[in-house]
Amino acid sequence: MSVLKVNICGVEFKNPVITASGTFGYGLEYARFIDISKLGGISVKGISYNEVKGNPMPRIMETTSGMLNAIGLQNVGVHKFLKEKLPLLRKYDTRVIVNFWGKTIEEYVQVAEVLDNADVDMLEMNISCPNVKEGGIAFGSDPSMTAKVVSECRKAISNKPLLVKLSPNVTDIKPFAKACEDSGADGISAINTLLGMAVNIHTRKPYISNVTGGLSGPAIKPVAVRMVHEVSKVVKIPIIGMGGIIRWEDAAEFFLVGASAVQVGTANFVDPELTLKIVDGLEKYAESQGLSNISELTGKVDLSK
Amino acid sequence: MKGIILKNERLNDKYRLMEIESPEFVQTAKPGQFVMVKTGLQDYLADPLLRRPFGLVDVRGNTFRLLYMLVGKGTRLMTESPAGSVIEFSSSLGNGFKSVKNQKVALVAGGVGIAPLLWIAKLLKDDGCSVTLYFGGRNQEDIILADEFRPHIDKLVITTDDGSVGDKALVTVPFGQDVKGFDRVYACGPKRMLEAVSGICVKGGVPVDVSLDERMACGMGACLGCIIYVREGEETVQKRCCVEGPVFDGSKVVWESVCR
Ligand SMILES: Cc1cc2nc3c(=O)[nH]c(=O)nc-3n(C[C@H](O)[C@H](O)[C@H](O)COP(=O)(O)OP(=O)(O)OC[C@H]3O[C@@H](n4cnc5c(N)ncnc54)[C@H](O)[C@@H]3O)c2cc1C
Ligand SMILES: Cc1cc2nc3c(=O)[nH]c(=O)nc-3n(C[C@H](O)[C@H](O)[C@H](O)COP(=O)(O)O)c2cc1C
Ligand code: FES
Repeated sequence: MSVLKVNICGVEFKNPVITASGTFGYGLEYARFIDISKLGGISVKGISYNEVKGNPMPRIMETTSGMLNAIGLQNVGVHKFLKEKLPLLRKYDTRVIVNFWGKTIEEYVQVAEVLDNADVDMLEMNISCPNVKEGGIAFGSDPSMTAKVVSECRKAISNKPLLVKLSPNVTDIKPFAKACEDSGADGISAINTLLGMAVNIHTRKPYISNVTGGLSGPAIKPVAVRMVHEVSKVVKIPIIGMGGIIRWEDAAEFFLVGASAVQVGTANFVDPELTLKIVDGLEKYAESQGLSNISELTGKVDLSK
Repeated sequence: MKGIILKNERLNDKYRLMEIESPEFVQTAKPGQFVMVKTGLQDYLADPLLRRPFGLVDVRGNTFRLLYMLVGKGTRLMTESPAGSVIEFSSSLGNGFKSVKNQKVALVAGGVGIAPLLWIAKLLKDDGCSVTLYFGGRNQEDIILADEFRPHIDKLVITTDDGSVGDKALVTVPFGQDVKGFDRVYACGPKRMLEAVSGICVKGGVPVDVSLDERMACGMGACLGCIIYVREGEETVQKRCCVEGPVFDGSKVVWESVCR
């Protein structure tokens, strides 16, 4: 399958299909149902320094061609993750990306320092979760804050490539991408969920206890494709594209607008085998297009009139 | 997994019973477990997006059955899947009910909560238990499958809100009067009913297992969308309804956090 082999920030992936943070647990949840070694990589649930219990229920609701979630970044904390989850996950032949976050710059740095010395392939800073009041969204919605938190983490991370995951909940994503590149990010992940809301007209109450939630799934794909396209125009570092990918055709679209790899999120809930189908579909497509490697597709959107 | 729909029978305006053939599936299924279902009509690009959770009614030979109540778009599409068509589903998920031997057992069902109780009733009966089913609904329409239970139970007590069949009462009224006569209780139904049943059992000193229906996205423990809270000693801990459940010890569930 060498046609699908990609190198992102110096790390080789057997294929460019990675499961998105928060939609694949710590990888192990799905190992019973699919062969996770066939995945290019797994981005684990966002890890913080201390354990986090998340938001009250209900936390999820399906919407048209998508879903809202307000999980609230529930996770076991970095130490428990390294002790109890990572060793089991490392038994599989797939790249492990650790998505991480903090409520303050200090907390970001704290968890980054621990992960920098852990047996993981890559780090992905989440500066864009719409479901936590502190940190999260604040860092991802002000370019100067983005620059600050990324450069502080960069200082703390010397052994691993650093991805920064951007928020789509901004008017213009370009300055954020640029701020990441200028502050030392090795790559960009885009996009996180879009802030949304749904109301039950009978009870007149929001379906989600947090009132608003993050929208994901096919409903957001056009927004995500547009944003990856915009980011690719302002940065030279690799972009991992995501948002609504459910078929290989969706993944190919992200490559064309500038992605070097993709992440698949909500589709894992729809059917855990979809990621593997996307791998197969992309391979056949690349071959049918006469490519020697899928990366030849990156940024090849034809904008001519 | 995939299976072929052998029957998709309309019981009344509110409920349907689906029989699915899948030799692969039936090998691992256990009573009280559930499946995430996606009909062939659900295109990946169309609505609805997510699979829907349903309890297993029973397994017979190479087939299993689902009882479903018409709620929204997912269940509507299930009604439109004819016999002979293909349906997709997960493997059997969650922890089910544990059978016991030679005990006096009560099953308490509210409406569609009857679905996962038939199979365990059969097992209990085979294991020498005496089984009483308390079955409550809004009206006659909700009292479904009762006839299928008869060979596997010793006593059936029906209640409805409007008195159209059985006593005009909540199911918790006759059950509450009899609770002390049982060694163990299994219940499935609306959360308020399960809370009341659990309260009655705790007071009566009878162990109670309840099956909870949380909204689920993945059904396999990854999304953390189905969290419930249970007491473990002094602590309140989080459990995923799909993996650690859907059956929980009713005396340990923190009902204030799940009842809405
Ligand atoms: C473990 C488990 C077992 C279940 N067993 C049965 C069963 O045997 N028979 C049966 O009729 N129903 C059962 N349910 C409830 C059933 O899943 C919902 O009625 C169904 O998902 C509604 O889907 P819809 O598309 O028709 O409704 P919609 O209103 O369109 O659904 C929108 C969203 O809400 C979710 N949802 C809506 N109602 C419920 C509910 N009561 N519980 C959980 N999620 C819900 C849906 O899955 C979907 O994500 C079970 C639920 C769980 C969690
Ligand atoms: C239930 C759920 C939990 C998520 N948790 C995280 C998280 O912990 N960290 C993160 O960076 N993104 C998280 N995300 C965002 C996804 O990784 C992804 O960016 C987003 O869902 C868009 O992709 P999709 O449409 O393919 O799902 C979560 C998404 C969902 C649906
Ligand atoms: S439904 Fe996803 S964790 Fe339970």
